[in-house]
Amino acid sequence: MKLAIVIPAYNEERVLGNVLKKLPRKILGVDEIISIIVNDGSRDKTEMIAKKYASKVINLPINLGVGTATETGIMAARKLGCDLLITMDADGQHNPKDIERVIQPILSKKADVVIGTRMKNSKGMPWIRVFGNWMMNLMTLIVFQKWTSDSQSGMRAFGKNALNKINHRSLGYEICSETIGEIRRNRLKFCEVPIQVIYSSYSQKKGQNIFNAINVLTKIIMIRLAGKR
Amino acid sequence: MIFLAKFLSIVLALVVISKSYVGYRNKQESLTMFLFWLITWLLIVVLSLFPIIIEKANHLIGQSGTGVDTFFGLTFVLLFFVTYRVYLKANRLEQKMREMVIKVGLRDLSDPNDQS
Repeated sequence: MKLAIVIPAYNEERVLGNVLKKLPRKILGVDEIISIIVNDGSRDKTEMIAKKYASKVINLPINLGVGTATETGIMAARKLGCDLLITMDADGQHNPKDIERVIQPILSKKADVVIGTRMKNSKGMPWIRVFGNWMMNLMTLIVFQKWTSDSQSGMRAFGKNALNKINHRSLGYEICSETIGEIRRNRLKFCEVPIQVIYSSYSQKKGQNIFNAINVLTKIIMIRLAGKR
Repeated sequence: MIFLAKFLSIVLALVVISKSYVGYRNKQESLTMFLFWLITWLLIVVLSLFPIIIEKANHLIGQSGTGVDTFFGLTFVLLFFVTYRVYLKANRLEQKMREMVIKVGLRDLSDPNDQS
């Protein structure tokens, strides 16, 4: 069993090294772990730091957004023959120790996709983010007719079946909701695993802001209308 | 002016629907997207041919129709057409750019276990 840890990164020189150093080296039931950093057109030292600690570094020539970076990581994992993939944020908000727990339902063949949910224990998350996340969950439910308690979580695991079937079109943050639509479209088995959220002043500045919600909503409606070709 | 609005809405509707249909036939557009533009533009044509519907709706909310309404209606039709063109171009460009960026990113990737 070969696991890919995909981390899209844009101008993350301050925290990326620390995130990569904490990644697990061994997991029970996994023979090989490779970390894939997708450098999304960063202008700082993200590439240099990634090359120092990661197994694979993919440099995108321009910054198109987390959607493109994540899909590139997924395609790279397929190319490298990975059986299992987990995505996580580069800003240090995820605890690398959660990786093992999030992939467990896939290893035990109970799920094709696992969402690491921050909403079961949202202690430390600013109320505006909690509200924003619930609003996004609601929008995702309306557009894709599938409920999840944390549709915007960046920590998600995909088994081989999901890796072969899921196909994103998103450029930016709308990928989070699009994945939920893909789970429904491909009738994949899915479950949620509670994860810890580490909110530092740095990670709060990164990620989505509440005003991005309208932009994301417009894009997920267009994705839904466009369907899959 | 009213005749022009009617004529223009029919011509633009024909352009949009035919272009959308060609896009769908060439697999550049999905069936749902084609149906979306088809229904939207048929609605515009119906409203421009039978403005009585708008007048009745206006009457229901206590408004009365004037030449200004026609002017704004015409502007709306033109803007909707421009939006459609911009949406199509932006969407296609975005997707092409995305494909290209991913291709460039994956160019140098090789399997470390692959000795060939």
